[in-house]
Amino acid sequence: MMGTEAEILLVDDNPADLDLTCDALAQSEWLSHVSTVIDGEEAIAFLHRKGKYATAPRPHLVLLDLNLPRKDGRSVLADVKSDPVLRRIPVVIFSSSRASPDIERCYELGANSYVSKPATLGEWISTVKLVKEYWIGCACLPGEEEQ
Amino acid sequence: MSTTAARMGRDAEISSTTKTKLHILLVEDDSADRDLILRELGKSEFEISSEVVQTAEEFRQRIRTRCPDVVLADYNLGQWRGTEALDILREEGLDIPLILVSGTIGDMTAVDCIKQGATDYVLKDSLARLPVALRRALNDRKSREERQRAQESLARKVEELARSNHDLEQFAYVASHDLQEPLRMVAAYTQLLAERYRGKLDEQADKYINYAVDGAARMQGLIKDLLAFSRVGRQEIELTSTDCNEVVKLAMKNLQASIMESGAVVKYEHLPGLMANGSQLQQVFQNLIGNAIKFHGPETPVVQISAEMQGKKWMFSVADNGIGISPEHAENIFVIFHRLHARTEYAGNGIGLSICKKIIERHGGRIAAASRAGGGTIFKFTLPAGKPDEIRNH
Amino acid sequence: MNSNETDILLVEDSKDDAELAIHALRRENLANNIFTARDGEEALDFLFCRGPFAERSFDHPPKLVLLDLKLPKVDGIEVLKQLKQDLRTRFIPVVILTSSKEERDLVHGYELGVNSYIQKPVDFEQFRQTVKTVGLYWMVNNQRPANRETTKAAGQGS
Repeated sequence: MMGTEAEILLVDDNPADLDLTCDALAQSEWLSHVSTVIDGEEAIAFLHRKGKYATAPRPHLVLLDLNLPRKDGRSVLADVKSDPVLRRIPVVIFSSSRASPDIERCYELGANSYVSKPATLGEWISTVKLVKEYWIGCACLPGEEEQ
Repeated sequence: MSTTAARMGRDAEISSTTKTKLHILLVEDDSADRDLILRELGKSEFEISSEVVQTAEEFRQRIRTRCPDVVLADYNLGQWRGTEALDILREEGLDIPLILVSGTIGDMTAVDCIKQGATDYVLKDSLARLPVALRRALNDRKSREERQRAQESLARKVEELARSNHDLEQFAYVASHDLQEPLRMVAAYTQLLAERYRGKLDEQADKYINYAVDGAARMQGLIKDLLAFSRVGRQEIELTSTDCNEVVKLAMKNLQASIMESGAVVKYEHLPGLMANGSQLQQVFQNLIGNAIKFHGPETPVVQISAEMQGKKWMFSVADNGIGISPEHAENIFVIFHRLHARTEYAGNGIGLSICKKIIERHGGRIAAASRAGGGTIFKFTLPAGKPDEIRNH
Repeated sequence: MNSNETDILLVEDSKDDAELAIHALRRENLANNIFTARDGEEALDFLFCRGPFAERSFDHPPKLVLLDLKLPKVDGIEVLKQLKQDLRTRFIPVVILTSSKEERDLVHGYELGVNSYIQKPVDFEQFRQTVKTVGLYWMVNNQRPANRETTKAAGQGS
């Protein structure tokens, strides 16, 4: 359980989906700060604190879409899970794909969890809230790693 | 020869069934016989070009370099027999008519030759028959070739049709699949609009927003149904040993809520076991039973499921005591998205029955609906009852 | 009970904690079949279909493993390590459910690829709530990689 404010990184190229998710995340009781990036390269830069992200917080949880421009979600996942420091961060795939090959591939690459984007507004809100309640409210996440 | 040939050529052109030019390979070691044969051929309606060989090796070589239209072979060739030429032709995979020419040939041997594959035989003292035999052989071959071409054309058309069908199904699947996401955005955000701004703009705005929300929700339902429909055709149908009683039980389990709500009674007994795709068959029963309950009349819905063997098929019946169906609609109800009632009267997109029809037909059966005498509807469908090997290729 | 139909494998040596967890899961209808292994060795035998569990099949893994760390015979970290290193078992979601507060264990767990790490609340009611949330998340929300049996012929459901 997070005592301090949880840092969440949202990676999704669809602003409509980002907005919805941020809304839903804000509705939950647990304190969190959400950062958003809209493509895979930005995600990597953010996580490695490169360039304009030099002072970016290290996220405690990453919600990662799969179909991203410039560098797709699977590639980001592979990068994160092969980095000795970053790989401890739980990565939850949040994608509209329900295709088995996609799901399998993500687990192969080390995803901690895979959640399908629901079809309706109500389900979206409750799903995202459950994701937050579980990962931020219930689970223990690795603390901040000093550089 | 040339003017006669020219005249014969012209004559032959007017006639529609004979070939003008023929290349003949003559397997003959006796020069006298050879001349006789060639002279007789010259009298035919064909323009003959010919080559002569004597040995098997020569024969094999010659048919490889230039394929003759017909082979005329003497039965007795000293070292070898004309019938061996048949073997050589077979080895080379060539379908060329071979006519045996022989001095004496008993009836027995003649039949043997034909059995071995010779097209015909002609006796050397009846060489006048040669042109006739030639024509007949060529006509036979022509018919055979035409038949084969027709078969190939049919096979190609079937393949094209299957591919086109597959493309259509792929398209339906991909389109409905890809439509889901943008649709989801529209549905979610119109709903959000409704929640956040209801009562805060004006009455018109509320109305517009509600129409948009309704439209989006309906679209989502339609796409979902379309996906379900196109999924039926997507994979190879895999048949396993299926107990229909178990299938019906499962279908009823999924319909538990509406069965309890309506107090419906579903009766089934002694349903057969057969080769089918269990989960698809379950969809069929679920749809039919569900409909029977949904379209109920004033009385408590009663659904009766039975099956009887008819030749090599099982004929299933699902009968209810509901609102029934008029004869003019009995066929339409299986059309995709076709509905008989207003949305306000009965819910649903009208896809259940078209899915049933697709599934039944993929299994090699047929489905139809009819009104019952005392009221209600009866759905009948057939499924093959054969042993596994018989049903394999559907 | 057919051990191939196990929904959740609970690896817990404390009888009280096990009972509480099972009660919480059953109450919310989150799992029908829960198998409790009392030590790391039993857990490994179960998951690798050997010893007393030789009739189990790799095609029917449990949908979730709840893993305590302090276990007799073989400890939780070792169980986790073996599970995540073997191709046949690495896709099974594993959630460490432990009383350990050690940051070391936490980091080590995530490094070894544990899906998630939960610290057992001391309070009974909170424990129940936690187990409920865990069950809800992993059994209902989370998408698992395809079970091999679902890719076989769609035969008679049972």
